[in-house]
Amino acid sequence: MGRTSAYFQADWFGPAVISVLAVLVIGLIDRAFISPAALDVLILAVALNGMIVLSQMVVIAIGQMNLSVGGIGGLAAISFAGLMQVQGLPPVAAAAIALLIGVAAGLFNGWLIATTGISAFVITLASLSLFKGINLGITSAQPFYEIPAVVKAFGSEALFDMLPFLSLPTIVIAFALMVLLTRMPLGRNILAVGANPGAVALTGVSLKWTVIAAHVISGFLAAAAGVMAVARLQIGLPTIGDDWLLLSFAAPVIGGAVLSGGHVSVGATLWGVAIVAIITQALVLFKIDPYLVQAVLGLLILWAVGINRWREVRARKGEGKL
Amino acid sequence: METARYAFEARSVSKFFPGVKALSEVSLKLSAGSIHALLGENGAGKSTLIKIVTGVYQPDQGSLFCSGQACRFSGPRDAMAAGIGVVHQERNLIPRFSIAENIFLERNGRHLFRMIDYKALAREARPWLERLGLDLDPALPVSRLTVAKMQMVEIARALALRSRVLLLDEPTASLTPHEAEALFAVLRKLRDEGVSMLFVSHKLEEVEQLCDTVTVLRDGNNVCDARSTESLGRQDFVHLMIGRTEQVVTRRDREQEDVPPFLELKSVSSALGHRDISLAVRPGEIVGLYGLVGAGRSELAKVIIGRYPVTAGEIRVDQAPVKIRSVAQAIHRHGIGYVSEDRKHEGLILDHSVLENAGITVWRRLANCLGLVGDRSIRALVEPHIRKLEVRTPSLHQKVGLLSGGNQQKISVAKWLSAGVKLLIIDEPTVGIDIKSKAYLHELIHELADKGTAVLLISSDMPEMISLADRIVVMNAYRVQGELANTGEYAKVSAGIMNLIHD
Amino acid sequence: MASFFLSNEFGLIVGICIFIAIFSWVDANFWSPFNLFVISRSAGVYALIGLSMMAVIATGGLSLAIGAIGVCAAMAFGWAIESAGLHWSASLAVALAVALALGYVNGWLVVRTGIHSFVITLATMSVFFGGMLFLSQGQSFRALPAEITEFGRLKVFSISALFLTAVAVALLLAAFYRFAALGREMLAAGACPEAAELSGVHSGRMFILCHVLSAGLAGIAALLVTARFGAAIPSMAGQLGQDWLMPGFLAPVLGGTLLSGGRVSVPGTVLGAILVTILANGLLRMSIGEFWVQAILGCLLLAAVLGDVMRKRYLAASGRA
Repeated sequence: MGRTSAYFQADWFGPAVISVLAVLVIGLIDRAFISPAALDVLILAVALNGMIVLSQMVVIAIGQMNLSVGGIGGLAAISFAGLMQVQGLPPVAAAAIALLIGVAAGLFNGWLIATTGISAFVITLASLSLFKGINLGITSAQPFYEIPAVVKAFGSEALFDMLPFLSLPTIVIAFALMVLLTRMPLGRNILAVGANPGAVALTGVSLKWTVIAAHVISGFLAAAAGVMAVARLQIGLPTIGDDWLLLSFAAPVIGGAVLSGGHVSVGATLWGVAIVAIITQALVLFKIDPYLVQAVLGLLILWAVGINRWREVRARKGEGKL
Repeated sequence: METARYAFEARSVSKFFPGVKALSEVSLKLSAGSIHALLGENGAGKSTLIKIVTGVYQPDQGSLFCSGQACRFSGPRDAMAAGIGVVHQERNLIPRFSIAENIFLERNGRHLFRMIDYKALAREARPWLERLGLDLDPALPVSRLTVAKMQMVEIARALALRSRVLLLDEPTASLTPHEAEALFAVLRKLRDEGVSMLFVSHKLEEVEQLCDTVTVLRDGNNVCDARSTESLGRQDFVHLMIGRTEQVVTRRDREQEDVPPFLELKSVSSALGHRDISLAVRPGEIVGLYGLVGAGRSELAKVIIGRYPVTAGEIRVDQAPVKIRSVAQAIHRHGIGYVSEDRKHEGLILDHSVLENAGITVWRRLANCLGLVGDRSIRALVEPHIRKLEVRTPSLHQKVGLLSGGNQQKISVAKWLSAGVKLLIIDEPTVGIDIKSKAYLHELIHELADKGTAVLLISSDMPEMISLADRIVVMNAYRVQGELANTGEYAKVSAGIMNLIHD
Repeated sequence: MASFFLSNEFGLIVGICIFIAIFSWVDANFWSPFNLFVISRSAGVYALIGLSMMAVIATGGLSLAIGAIGVCAAMAFGWAIESAGLHWSASLAVALAVALALGYVNGWLVVRTGIHSFVITLATMSVFFGGMLFLSQGQSFRALPAEITEFGRLKVFSISALFLTAVAVALLLAAFYRFAALGREMLAAGACPEAAELSGVHSGRMFILCHVLSAGLAGIAALLVTARFGAAIPSMAGQLGQDWLMPGFLAPVLGGTLLSGGRVSVPGTVLGAILVTILANGLLRMSIGEFWVQAILGCLLLAAVLGDVMRKRYLAASGRA
């Protein structure tokens, strides 16, 4: 097997090619799409959405789902903003507490799922309502406006005028997750539990703690996304997280993740985020009804699951086995 | 110590389940450097014994010894730690992980955050692969391998865990003959290196070819225990598994009218792999379908009732050629029913009540023009059958899952009686059922036929077959091997069947 | 009789009585005709949303799209009256037909692709809702005939007509599951598809019909909401119709519907919806913020599923399974 064909087979290859081609084609049609300002917006969207999506991806890896990603993100966001405005905490301390809240929320989800055996769907649906309710109860649905200048700068400025600061955490996290899922036993266990829990149980790895670990990581990342959203929006909105659900499933699926678990790829998932961002922007650019974005996203999911399914069926037929 | 001769020994092991004695004082002795076969038909207790060896079940009586030391397994991990490696029928591999990582998956439990050194893993894995004669790159993902190679990887994993005993459960079930041959070469090599192996298979030619000693189970008892296979032929295995030296069969002579067949199969081939199947069942006749496990009998039943498509040949019902496209058609248009051998998943809805299970086949027929059907009309039709079958249930609203196996089986027969089928295919009616219910079910099958129902009886229980069937059709490898009239003379008929199986 | 006291329905009735007792003790106006009307109005809508979800849960799956389907039906109703100029009765038929068709799409996709209903309905939720927004341009239909608005205000002994409608639908549905061959077959297929198939039930067809039934109930729920507001509003079920998910799951789960499929409880679901409504109403009247009520409902769902797990463990331990 040559090196080139290995690239063709990699999960991220297809979505990457589609993204680059789409940018080029749309750019040829309308130069405005590849103007520095437009690309900046694109990178910012990928940075923030990437964090949201990675949070869901970790749970998909284990063959479960986390409906409360948006709930955790929203709670972390208003905690972050509120601690700075009301308690006057420095941004770093506020962010740390917000992230801890995310970890606690993930622990709550994971522990309940692992110990009761109730489906992740029901548990996280309930905890979504719980987190969202606490969020709105604390804020009475009122935003926090007083965001320190440092945070605002972090959300709007770029390193050397090139790379938005906001993309740094996503890059670091994506890299860390990649290492975790490809090189560390914990990450390998998460993938293995997603692929074949019975086999993992026989190796003496604790299923329970692996599930909890995945949810804790997911909670942490969701909280990070919430903090980033505050920086990006320059305001602590209680509605942060409300529209994350669809996106968080769409991008991994477009990146080829198998929702039954055991098969995710950080690279492909981020390219999936890019595809969603490109399509959203292109629709805006061509003045296509913004309402259609929603429907297109849904069709994209259907198309992607169709492709994944077809691949699975083909793989089962045993083509190219050694 | 005398027992130290054996790498593993199970001594007088018994296991009880509610109402059934699955194993009674069964022994199993595995010597180092030998391949040992475990044989037995459906319900003989084979899978219970395997689960005891692998630590899934704990024996109720008797004891286990590993290299002469008494041992207790409280779970599969204990058995593995004691040096019993298992290659299950289902693959216990992570498809997207590399061969090396799968072999050493065990290590992932220890240091959760230490970087995995894939190069070192591959280096360590290579000798194990080489020992099995596998020329594969250990870095290759398992999903790229054939089933045969995956199995080898599992054997390598078991060896890497320092297993002294290797249990292979139906290892050749999904292998081509060529792949099976390669597997046997590896197993022989391991034997010569001193590994003890327990080979579970229903393919007798493999046992004959490969194994040194054999333990045969029948009805939860040892028929033989670590007997040398040297002097045994395939015929003897069949004899041990299904033959009885002294068997009193109570068989009623039944008048056979010469009527045209109700169901007739003419050179039927199916999508499941059946080739050239021909058989006929007349009203009032019990036709036995005999064959070892894996002969394709249950599958043939599902083809007949329209669950899987016929690809060639013709099915005739009441002498008219028919195409049965769904089970609903088979029941409602042609009056064909099927009592599945797998009561839990295919026969009954365990979570639903007796009444719902017994009535499912008649709802549509009883529904009025609005599609409505009340409990009362279902009850009127179903209750007499439930009562007649003496189903022991506190009420008709009891969940079926809470009843005993015998009562469950009666209900899965009752639902077809209420449907008033003209042909009933009955698949292994008495597996896992207590003696009393068994006799009762036999009586019932007789009665059904006497009333004019055509019965196609699938059974691996030779005495059952000989006491019930009028004619016996013998199947092997998804083909019909032949047919013989049942005279009721046990020795003669069973010899005839055995001859047909391995012709 | 003993089994009745162990049932979810009995537990719910006790729960409802306790909540009523507490709330009427702390709040003298709890029994006021106006509050009864408010409670019954919400309970009717919640009951139908719960029944709609219940109908899909019967297959062992779920539907995220019931909210989106409901809104689509309501908007189709508004369109048929305002833009197509149909009589309101014909418009009702149009609305229900739209709902049933969307349900069929869901069911067909789930059965044909074999992909879990979560993913399919996640995608179709977005497609249906986005398509609806595109076609309506996010505009509400507010010029509905007086009959509709009057129906929304209609009360019989302080009980809202919306609630009575829901009860009537629930009775029909209960009869359907109990007496219709089709309803029985749906439950059989949901409990164990292969066993049902081998008994002559077309399991795949039943799954599709379960989605269609669910969509029809979602449509009715949305029409009741339309009558209540006197308008068909795209945001009546929140972003993508997600606001219906919580009440949708709460009522059936409280009512003892099995999430793995095959067993439903229509009275349980209705009682669950009533319990949720009374709890929310009482808490709101005790001026616990509306937002905290949402958190408390989340806890209620957790408590319900945990209670169910514990009850099963207890029954298994005491040998009654």
